[in-house]
Amino acid sequence: MGFGDELIHDRELFSCLSCYACSNLCPSDVDYPVFTQKVRNLASGEGEHGDCAHSGTLLSIMRLTSRSDIKQKRLDWLDGLHTSEKSEVLYFAGCAPYFEPVFEDIEVSPVNIARNSIKVLNALGIEPMVLPNERCCGHDLLWTGDVETFKKLAQFNAQMIKESGAKKIVFSCPEGYRTFKLDYPNYVDLGCDVQHVSELLAEKIGQNGVKFKEIKKKVTYQDPCRLGRHLGIYEPPREIIKAIPGIELVEMEHSGDESICCGTSVWTNCSSYSKQIREERLLEARATGADMLITACPKCQIHFKCAMVDKGAEKGPDIKMEVMDLVNLVANAMET
Amino acid sequence: MAEFEPKIIAFCCNWCTYAAADIAGTSRIHYPANVRIVRVMCSGMVDPIYILKAFEMGADGVLIAGCHEADCHYLNGPLKCDAMFEKIKRVVNILGLEGERLRREMIAAAEAPVFAELIEEMVKQLKKLGPSPLREGVKV
Amino acid sequence: MEEIKTGVYICHCGLNIAGTVNVEEVARYAGTLPNVVVARDYRYMCSDPGQALIKDDIKNLGLNRVVVASCSPRMHEPTFRRACQDAGLNPYLFEHANIREHCSWVHDDRQIATEKAKDLVRAAVRRVFYNEPLEIKERPLNPNVLVVGGGIAGIQAALDIANGEHRVYLVEKEPAIGGHMAQLDRTFPTLDCSECILTPKMTEVGQHPFITLLAYSEVEEVAGSVGNFKVRVKKKARYVDEEKCTGCGVCEEKCPWKVDSEYEVGMGKRGVVYVPFAQAIPHVATIDKERCVYFLKGKCRACEKFCDAKAIDFEQKDEIVELEVGSIILTTGYDVFDSRRIPQYGYGRYDNVLTGLEFERMTCAAGPTGGKVLLKDGRQPESVAIIHCVGSRDENYHEYCSRVCCMYALKYAHLIKENTQAEVYQMYIDMRCFGEGFEEFYRRVCDEGVNFIRGKVAKVTDVALTEGEQGKLAVIAEDTLLGGIIRVPVDMVILCPALEARFGAEDVAKLFTINRRADGFFMERHVKLDPVATATEGVYIAGCCEGPKDIPDTVAQASAAAAKALSVISRGRVVIEPTTAQVNEVLCQACGRCEEICDFHAPKVISKDGLRVSSVDAALCKGCGACAVVCPTGAMSVRHSTREQINGMVEALLEV
Ligand SMILES: Cc1cc2nc3c(=O)[nH]c(=O)nc-3n(C[C@H](O)[C@H](O)[C@H](O)COP(=O)(O)OP(=O)(O)OC[C@H]3O[C@@H](n4cnc5c(N)ncnc54)[C@H](O)[C@@H]3O)c2cc1C
Ligand code: SF4
Repeated sequence: MGFGDELIHDRELFSCLSCYACSNLCPSDVDYPVFTQKVRNLASGEGEHGDCAHSGTLLSIMRLTSRSDIKQKRLDWLDGLHTSEKSEVLYFAGCAPYFEPVFEDIEVSPVNIARNSIKVLNALGIEPMVLPNERCCGHDLLWTGDVETFKKLAQFNAQMIKESGAKKIVFSCPEGYRTFKLDYPNYVDLGCDVQHVSELLAEKIGQNGVKFKEIKKKVTYQDPCRLGRHLGIYEPPREIIKAIPGIELVEMEHSGDESICCGTSVWTNCSSYSKQIREERLLEARATGADMLITACPKCQIHFKCAMVDKGAEKGPDIKMEVMDLVNLVANAMET
Repeated sequence: MAEFEPKIIAFCCNWCTYAAADIAGTSRIHYPANVRIVRVMCSGMVDPIYILKAFEMGADGVLIAGCHEADCHYLNGPLKCDAMFEKIKRVVNILGLEGERLRREMIAAAEAPVFAELIEEMVKQLKKLGPSPLREGVKV
Repeated sequence: MEEIKTGVYICHCGLNIAGTVNVEEVARYAGTLPNVVVARDYRYMCSDPGQALIKDDIKNLGLNRVVVASCSPRMHEPTFRRACQDAGLNPYLFEHANIREHCSWVHDDRQIATEKAKDLVRAAVRRVFYNEPLEIKERPLNPNVLVVGGGIAGIQAALDIANGEHRVYLVEKEPAIGGHMAQLDRTFPTLDCSECILTPKMTEVGQHPFITLLAYSEVEEVAGSVGNFKVRVKKKARYVDEEKCTGCGVCEEKCPWKVDSEYEVGMGKRGVVYVPFAQAIPHVATIDKERCVYFLKGKCRACEKFCDAKAIDFEQKDEIVELEVGSIILTTGYDVFDSRRIPQYGYGRYDNVLTGLEFERMTCAAGPTGGKVLLKDGRQPESVAIIHCVGSRDENYHEYCSRVCCMYALKYAHLIKENTQAEVYQMYIDMRCFGEGFEEFYRRVCDEGVNFIRGKVAKVTDVALTEGEQGKLAVIAEDTLLGGIIRVPVDMVILCPALEARFGAEDVAKLFTINRRADGFFMERHVKLDPVATATEGVYIAGCCEGPKDIPDTVAQASAAAAKALSVISRGRVVIEPTTAQVNEVLCQACGRCEEICDFHAPKVISKDGLRVSSVDAALCKGCGACAVVCPTGAMSVRHSTREQINGMVEALLEV
């Protein structure tokens, strides 16, 4: 393609959040995020990675799950839940087990979201399969330009899923969902359906006679970029929230396809700008007067909670707010 | 086939364990050559990425060794290291690595024989375990 | 980016390295590594010609990175850094591979050692690629010195510095200075009276225009680093106005309440308001608040009534004094082992079992017995046993030798012989008389007819087995020379308890950020080559806080520590280590995790041009790197220990 060095070695190459806000506005329909993805692949070949957040540990874990002989011990959290060895539905837990120790200090429990996802599926009469040696979906590696490892991961996952006989894969993480739905088909044949847990829920709550108890709360909803602008899923999460008696849903100044990203992506170039985006977004959320910010993406939650850390003596604006995953909200509402 | 020789990366703090390894040298205390020492100023400086990076690169074992709590040149480095270690240990466990592959020890400057014995012991354990499952392409 | 040109030098260290490692092969290998333009091996890299090789190559080949593979960097890193600097290369562009201590000396298989040496060299070459030139800055220094502990060590150090006309703050926790030496009677081996040699020095301290004496005070907080320490000292309330008090002693006389005197180790009494001893400096009274009846019950104030100087002040409060100093000398001394911990010796149960310090007071002319050696009932003893190594050289208590006991035991034998007709028995394990004039003193005491019994004492008992033991104490020991258990009936037993690390030494070590050895004493930077420096730049140690020793050694160390402090002062500037933390302000999110984890208060979140960012105070930063580990974004890193450098080494070590 003949890209100049300049572009490949520019640190801002890794600043794009791939949030698709630009494509939404672009009159010529340029798919800028995918363009970035491709250039990052070239840059990665030149040893460029941007500035890795968390010292690059998370990307390293993801790469490590692509090793052929790995035998993960990733299912401790399934204790006491109903899953099955053979089922039409497979729940893809994603990075939750790894994120758990890493983000304990900011009080985010991705494993809890995974547990609640299974509880919710159980309530809908589904006992899903969960893969014991599930590999990372590869989303973050693909978007940081490491296509080679991404392919490896996709192949491992596709093979395991085929062997499992699953007909449908359910995700609680929009990134895994997007990756399976839009990126895997370029490399592997999955031979089954994929769905976000919010879609499944929205479909079923009407039919299955799931009963919600009352929750008296005013909440607002953060559209995760991958669920919203990437895949056009805006309504199902809102329908679910509204189905819970007592809950009042208020929208932020920017919502739906105008929604603002949680500020950082793929553990790269997480900077003062990223912090500023999150600060502004949280101020917007607080301005609605909501008691709680609901998201449908564990990473949104991680990023918002991290932005609230303010341990220095010189304090920033007050952006503290309860953040909860949609699945956790639903599980709470279902508990009797 | 030649016997499997494990590779160990040891992050040793400048003031205590690195010095212990120096004294092991001065005192000609022999130990297996499977270890490669990386000098860090404090065990509290060891970033989890160094550990993961070592496993990514095919290390069979990783050791983080520094001062005992009371000896720290920087007051509380060992405690900070412990906190980091607890987290990364859990991650490494989920990745399926056995506990013996990632160790955290405190070895004072004067404890050269302890250092040598530890390496001896680690090499023995790792030989028994075989190559790390995260080491790509190496078959047991 | 400039082209990286690395020179690699493999040292033979005679046969120390070359005997095990094929150095030529390693050099050849190094020559094939990326960015290496020259690789040589040489007999002794640290020698002048060895260093000249590096310097010439820097000049002639335009090297901008240097790697030496030789001994430990803890040995010669400074040497090679200097060589680079001399040739105009920033010293931080040098990297050391340790192929002696960590390779040739610990392995014997030539092939394996050679392969390992190659790995270590490859890692150093990779690391140095990421090294950056660092600016070495200097800043002015505060010439004042803080001395903590007013025993003979602290007194000597303070005087040496003050005589050079630099300000010394001498902090002593007790009401008066002098330490243990003030309690001694005569001192071995010359038998000069302790008081006579100590008092003039104490007086000099009290009057010296360059010494500020803060007695009855304790250091509470220390911040900063060499050249610029900030110290908070608590001056405890004496309830006596130091300015007004003349030390006349009337208050003590009139105080109706008497308690055991610490100075007399319980063998004499003092008032609740008291001047610790006759020559005390500062010569002022102190009210012992814990035991003062007025403080306890609200009534008395007898002292106040009789004080002509109107110095008593029951309203006095503790006072905080803030000091700024450039260096610190710790001379906090030792504690005497509590002989009650070895109950079989009967200390505390039998009247006539004394400790060394008690005996010192007994032989002192100004002491509780007026210098007479007496039994509890007032008789002169007819026989005395002196038991060595009480708590020393004993794996149940302290493994080390306390170094002064043999000698003061000989001193006691001589004094007993001088004062009484008594038979004296030395019950020793080994006689250790190594110092100047010690062996001669030992001979002299032997000639005075003292009995020497070699063996460890098992027990002291008042249960008599024979007529001869009636009314006496029987010392039961194994005589290792004669080979058998013996019982020696005596009137008096003197124990020689160990010198041990002071109670609270751990807190003092923490306060001043220095290390302690396994035996509890403060640790020197190097046992042989740097015996009064510590791990913390600008903090020195002297006297018995570093380990048991006699007065001559204590004084020598104190002068050495003073010389160290003076050399810092005369340089006038301190080098700021450039290996401190730095913030990438674009990445920083002002979360303050770094501020929270730092024990030295170096990083702080501040507002800068309307943006909040972390900022590191280089003067406070010690470069430990804890902040970089907790920083979520990678904004924080430590110069010369960056993630690139360490990851680079890990990658290089494992990539073949
Ligand atoms: C029984 C006996 C007999 C001895 N006879 C001899 C002899 O004949 N000849 C000889 O050479 N040596 C003799 N010694 C050894 C001698 O006592 C020591 O060498 C000497 O006293 C050491 O002095 P120093 O200043 O290091 O410690 P110390 O005398 O213990 O002085 C330490 C001082 O520091 C103060 N201090 C402690 N902690 C703090 C703090 N945190 N803050 C402020 N101040 C503090 C203490 O109050 C004390 O004043 C004898 C020892 C004993 C036990
Ligand atoms: S930890 Fe990192 S991001 Fe947080 S304030 Fe410190 S430097 Fe900035």
